[in-house]
Amino acid sequence: MNEPILTATGLHKSYQMGPELLRVLRGASVTVQRGEWLAVMGASGSGKSTLLHILGALDVPDEGTVRFNGEEIFSQGVRAQERMRNRSVGFVFQFYHLLPELNVLENILLPAMVRYSVLGWMREGKGAREYARTVLEQVGLERRGHHRPNELSGGERQRAAIARALVNQPELLLADEPTGNLDAKTGQGILAVLQALNAQGQTIVMVTHDPSVADMAHRRVQLVEGRIKT
Amino acid sequence: MYKLFLILRYLRRRLIILLPIIAVWLCVAMVLIVVSVMGGFLEMVKERTRGLLSDLIVDNETLQGFPYYQELIDELKMELPDLVEAATPAIYNYGILRVKDYNYTKPVQVVGIRLDEFQGVNDFENALYYDRYYPGTTTLQKQQQPVSGLAESGKWLLPEEYETAFAGFRDRNRAEAAKLTPEMTSPHGVGRYRPGFAAPGFEGDPLWGIIVGTDIINRRTDKGTYEREFRRGCEMILTLLPLTQQGVISASGALTVPMRYADDSYTRVYDIDRLCVYVDFEYLQDLLDMEPQERVDGGWTPARASQILIKLRDGQDSFAARDRVTAVWKAFFHRIAPKLSPEDEMLMSRVKTETWQQRQQTYIQAVEKEKILVLILFMVISLVAVVVVFCVFYLIVSHKTRDIGIIKSVGASPWGVEAIFVAYGAAVGLFGGVAGTITGVIFVRHINELQEALAWINPNLRVWNPEVYAFDRIPTAVDGVEAAIIFVVAILASMIGALIPAIQAGRVWPVKALRYE
Repeated sequence: MNEPILTATGLHKSYQMGPELLRVLRGASVTVQRGEWLAVMGASGSGKSTLLHILGALDVPDEGTVRFNGEEIFSQGVRAQERMRNRSVGFVFQFYHLLPELNVLENILLPAMVRYSVLGWMREGKGAREYARTVLEQVGLERRGHHRPNELSGGERQRAAIARALVNQPELLLADEPTGNLDAKTGQGILAVLQALNAQGQTIVMVTHDPSVADMAHRRVQLVEGRIKT
Repeated sequence: MYKLFLILRYLRRRLIILLPIIAVWLCVAMVLIVVSVMGGFLEMVKERTRGLLSDLIVDNETLQGFPYYQELIDELKMELPDLVEAATPAIYNYGILRVKDYNYTKPVQVVGIRLDEFQGVNDFENALYYDRYYPGTTTLQKQQQPVSGLAESGKWLLPEEYETAFAGFRDRNRAEAAKLTPEMTSPHGVGRYRPGFAAPGFEGDPLWGIIVGTDIINRRTDKGTYEREFRRGCEMILTLLPLTQQGVISASGALTVPMRYADDSYTRVYDIDRLCVYVDFEYLQDLLDMEPQERVDGGWTPARASQILIKLRDGQDSFAARDRVTAVWKAFFHRIAPKLSPEDEMLMSRVKTETWQQRQQTYIQAVEKEKILVLILFMVISLVAVVVVFCVFYLIVSHKTRDIGIIKSVGASPWGVEAIFVAYGAAVGLFGGVAGTITGVIFVRHINELQEALAWINPNLRVWNPEVYAFDRIPTAVDGVEAAIIFVVAILASMIGALIPAIQAGRVWPVKALRYE
């Protein structure tokens, strides 16, 4: 756990909110070790989600660098960022963000389908399906694969979202308030899943404002006034 | 892979997509129907024009006609044996037709033809009604009326040559013959029998035969069929106005001659079927004073004809053939010019050769332009489908902004997202195009039946008026190439309609999209 998988340095991000420039990140820097479970804490609106989005190449900083496995991700072009989002990073969102037209298994397979062309899918699709079923089992949804998201409870939807994040076997799992929309008991279940994944070596960066949730992580950092404080 | 998967899934799960599919479907069907009807009309004009004229027409466009036509025919056959398959003279004039016992009169265009030769240069043979059921019995020569009688077999039959001819037709066309009613093959059904159980035979004076356009003497029903009112062989009176060589009415004045109704012609060109009657060429020539006549100075004025109709051998280009015929004509004219009277020289100097296309050029070009104009109009109307596709896709992209963010968050590229919506648009065009093409083809194939059904409900709903459009049925021709172009344009138009929403979807910033409610 002493090998950095991700290093963010001096991240700045501002949003124009009407006439006012909202400076969300003001030189935030953080390093994530391989196999580590890091919790990023902070008050609502402190920029936790923005930081997570930048770490996962879903958003671009105004200033600063993010190195993933030693490679600076924002100097490599859009294709490399898309490739990173697809293969190296898995996102888990507070509001699950599952596609309502697809069933659970199809939602989980979506990143794998983005990864492969039609011909590639003909070669690798079977393996991807088998792995998706394994992940479903891992998150306890083996009997829910053919259900649509609106037929699932909140906890089940979040498990499905975790399974989707894992289907391409990413090196880094980024979870944005994964229990924020769930009751305490269900949230504990989700944390247990993350804990099990981390125990298997999965690196996790989790954003939360809940100290009890952050307690599950190996390490916690605070985002205060746009900077990381340990 | 995700693009194909999501397109198929959205096609199945998004009912709103039926709206642009229906719009494309209707537009494709509409354009295909219009193109097919206009194209069919154009093809019919060309086909009938060629079928009723011939490949080339030599004409001086006067009622007096021109002399030395037979010499020219002989010269053409001798000089251009590789080109000319058949040629025949014809005379055109005007008259009044009266059915003797009914005092039923009509103005007519009188066409003098040599029946056998005329059938050799065009499709007139297929236009004859009785000649189809009694092959070989139609003639323009002198004839009596065939009348049914009690045969030795105890059956009521027509004279033997008619029964033999009908038996020949029946043997060759059993399926069609089985459907015939006596009324359709009059004179069986119209019911005139020889009195006193006499044997089948012929009655009345021998008179020259006349073939009459079907719309002159038969009544068209709402179903598009004809009710035959007059018995074959009945007497008709033709009134003519002979002209001199100079184009003034002959001193003898109007001429009235009795004739016998030999057959009727159904060319399917309303303007011809309601106007033309056909009589023997030599007989009409004689009636109109166009036969050779002795002049007061002891010389002879040559016989005249209005036209020479020429059928070309297979594979000949009609325009190239026209030039060769014109060259022969010029040489012929220069050779005989010294011996022509001033009147004949004037008549012959006006002679020109035209192809069947040139003959109807004004009409054909007008129809072609009309076809293009209508096509453009309907294409413009079809832009509605593009707008519908655009609106629905804009709506989908707006409603699916968060989904687009999700897809991008798992690594989809802007191009990939754009491709989903453009291909989705293509799928809309594909389904709409297939449905529209099938609907259009079915509609076009049954357009006349549909019109009859509408007319049955209300006669005012009959949209195709043969008096206006020249043909008695709505002509249609589905051109495979045109249908394919319409189909491809439908797909392209749907893709264009989807393009702007697709670009909009591709530009969605995933972080914003995921926050979208």
